Amino acid sequence: MPAGNDQLVSLEWQPLPGAGGATIFPLIRKIDTVSSNSYIIQTPDAIILIDPGGLATQAEQLMQVVTECRAEKERPFFILLTHAHIDHFIAIQNTPALAVAGAAVLMVQEEGAACLERGDAAMTQAAMFNTTIVPIKAGFHLVTSDRREHPGEPVELCFSNGALATVTAFPAGATPMSLNRETIVFGPASPPLDVFHTPGHSRDSICIRMGGLLFIGDLFFAANPGIAGLVGWSQEDLIRSLDGIGALLDKGEISQLCPGHGRLIPVADAQKMLPLVKRDAATLADIAEFNPDRAAEIATYAEDIMEQVNQLFTVMAGRLYYISYVLDELEESGTAAELGTLINGDDIDELLDAFRIFSEEHHTKKGVSVHLALKAGQVVGKLQRTFKTDELAHIIDPGIVRRTERLLADYITIFRGFTPPREVTVVDLSSLIEALIEGLTIPPISCDAVFSSTDDEKAFARVLLASIGTRPLLEDMDVVIDNAPDVLFVTIDRENFTDLLTYILEDLVGKGSPAIRVTVCGSGSSATVTISGTTPSSSAGCESQKTDRFLTGLCERAGASLAVSHGEDTRNTYTIQANRVV
Amino acid sequence: MEIKTTSKDNATTLSLNGRIDTATAPELEQAINKVIDGGQRKVLLDFAGVTYISSGGLRVLLATAKKLKNPGDKFGICALSPEVLKILKLAGFTSIFSIYPSEGEALAGW
Repeated sequence: MPAGNDQLVSLEWQPLPGAGGATIFPLIRKIDTVSSNSYIIQTPDAIILIDPGGLATQAEQLMQVVTECRAEKERPFFILLTHAHIDHFIAIQNTPALAVAGAAVLMVQEEGAACLERGDAAMTQAAMFNTTIVPIKAGFHLVTSDRREHPGEPVELCFSNGALATVTAFPAGATPMSLNRETIVFGPASPPLDVFHTPGHSRDSICIRMGGLLFIGDLFFAANPGIAGLVGWSQEDLIRSLDGIGALLDKGEISQLCPGHGRLIPVADAQKMLPLVKRDAATLADIAEFNPDRAAEIATYAEDIMEQVNQLFTVMAGRLYYISYVLDELEESGTAAELGTLINGDDIDELLDAFRIFSEEHHTKKGVSVHLALKAGQVVGKLQRTFKTDELAHIIDPGIVRRTERLLADYITIFRGFTPPREVTVVDLSSLIEALIEGLTIPPISCDAVFSSTDDEKAFARVLLASIGTRPLLEDMDVVIDNAPDVLFVTIDRENFTDLLTYILEDLVGKGSPAIRVTVCGSGSSATVTISGTTPSSSAGCESQKTDRFLTGLCERAGASLAVSHGEDTRNTYTIQANRVV
Repeated sequence: MEIKTTSKDNATTLSLNGRIDTATAPELEQAINKVIDGGQRKVLLDFAGVTYISSGGLRVLLATAKKLKNPGDKFGICALSPEVLKILKLAGFTSIFSIYPSEGEALAGW
C-alpha cells in the first residue's frame, strides 16, 4: 500500500495514482552509475517495464515479478527505455529471460533504437564504462518523425508476439505542448500512456506519463558534473525539454515524478528543482564532451590533486591543533575550543581515506576512469561544503587556505567540462619572485600589531590567534636568489605561477632542505627560473610522481613549462621556462 | 599498523610501521597511553616505518606532548620520512617536540 503523502513504496504493488485499473511495482535503488530504477506497470491489457536497469540480479528480480503477473493473467509484455544508456537497459542483453525476441516488445525513441541496432558504444555510454554491447533490435520506435507527418491519426499496431496497441502522434506546436508527444493505448481497459520526447541528457531521452506519474529518466541529473557533456548531450535541447516538462507540471495533472535514479519526487519539489536544473544547464555553454579519453584525463588529475588536497587539509587541521596547544599553554582554553569548529579533522580524514581506498581498488580491479572522476567530484564537493575559508584565512596562513580553495574549485571546473580561468599578463619575473620570498619570510603579524591590540579583548584574541597560526614558510631558512642582471618580463598567469613557486618551496622546506637556491636568467625568447634544494631520499615514489605531475600541470596552466629532476645525490631541481617579452 | 614497544636507558621506544590514519590513530593513542600510565615519562616514537599521517594522527602526537611536559619528561619522534616530516613542519609541530634523525641520536641526548 502507498505510504503517507501518497508516496509510492519500493518493491510493492500499489495502485497507480490517477490511472484507474493500473497498478505499479517500483524498484527504487540508491543512486549509482551501475543501474537505474525500474518500474513495472500492469493494466488489464498489458505489462509494461520501464528501464530494466543495468544489473543481472535486478533483471532477475523484475522477471520474477513479471512472470507472476503473466501467470495470473497472460498479457503482452512491453519494455520501454527512458533512454538507451547502458545503466538503464544492459540487463536486457545479459538476462535471457528478458530477451526481447518473442517474449517482449522493446520500445525506444527512434534515435535510441538506431543506437541499439548498430551497437553504438559511445552513445549508449558502453565505451565510458568499458562494457561490451551487442546490437539489439527494438520492436517499436517511439516518437518518430514519420508519424509526426500524420498528427492526431491513430495507428493500429500488431506485434509479432500478438500484442496490439494504438499509437497517436501529437507533434510539438500542434498542441500548446512544446514537446513532441505520442499517446499509446494498450487496450480498451488500459489508461493511456503518453511519451514526450525530451532530448538533452541524450538525443533519445523521453519522459513517460501514465495517470499522475511522470517517469523522467535522467532529465533532472542532466546538468550535473560528470553527466553534462556525455556523448549525445545538448544544452539547447535540455533547456527546451525542461521548459516543456515545466509546462506539463504546471497543468496540475502530475502528482509524482519517477526518476531514473533515487527517490520519487513529489511534484511540488520537482517544480522547485526544475528552475535550478535549468539555471545550471544555462551555465554549461561550450562544455567539453565527456568521453572516455576525457574521463581518463580527469581521473588522473583527480588523483594528483587529491594528494595535494590531503596534505593541505592535514596541515590546516594540524595548524589549528597547534594553535589550540599554544593557547592551552597560555591558559586560553576557551578560545582554543572555538577553533575545533573550523575544520572537522575526523570527517575530512574519513573523506580523504574513502577516496584513497576507492582509488586503490580502482587500480587493483582496473576500474573505469569515470567512476574515479565521479568519486573525486563527490569528495571535493563535500570538502568545499565543510571548508570555512574566510574564517580560517584569518587564523592560519591565508595562502594555504586560498590555494586549497582554488585546488577544489579548479577540479570542479575541469570536472564540469570547463577550463579553469587563466589570466596571462606581462609580469616582471625577478620582482615577483623577490616579493614572494619576502612574503614567505617575514611574519605577517608584527609584535607591534599584537601590542597595539591589547586594549580590545576581541581584537587581541584575533591577532593572537593569527600570530600563532601564521608561520612564515621561509623563516630560519637560508634562501639565496641569483637574479638576472636585467629586468625580465614574462607572460604568465600570476596566480598560478605564484602557487607553483609556493608548492615547490613548501616541498623543499617541508622535506628538510637546509638551503634553497633560486636562479633567474633570461636567454633569447625565454626566461628560466631554477629552484633547487637538497632533501633526504624518499621511498614514496608514487606520491612523488603524482606531485611532480601535479606541478607540471599547474605550470602549464600558469603559461610556462616545468622540468623536475630528483638527483641520486638527493638534490631536487625544478626548472621553469616562461615566454619572455623582449 | 604494527606497534613494537621496547624499553632501554630509562626510555620507551614505540616503533611504528604503516599509516597513521582515522583507523589506526586510536590504536596508537592507546599504546602510548599504556606506556605513560605504566609510569614511563620518556617516550620516543620511531617513525621509520610510517608512510602517512592524517590529522587524527597529529592530534595523538599533540595529546602526548601535553601529557609529557613536566620537567624531566621527554617526548620525541625519530627517523621521519620526508613526506611525514613535511606535514609536521608545515603544521608547526616541530616547534612543540623534538625531531631526531635516529633512535640512537635521540636516546643519546636523553
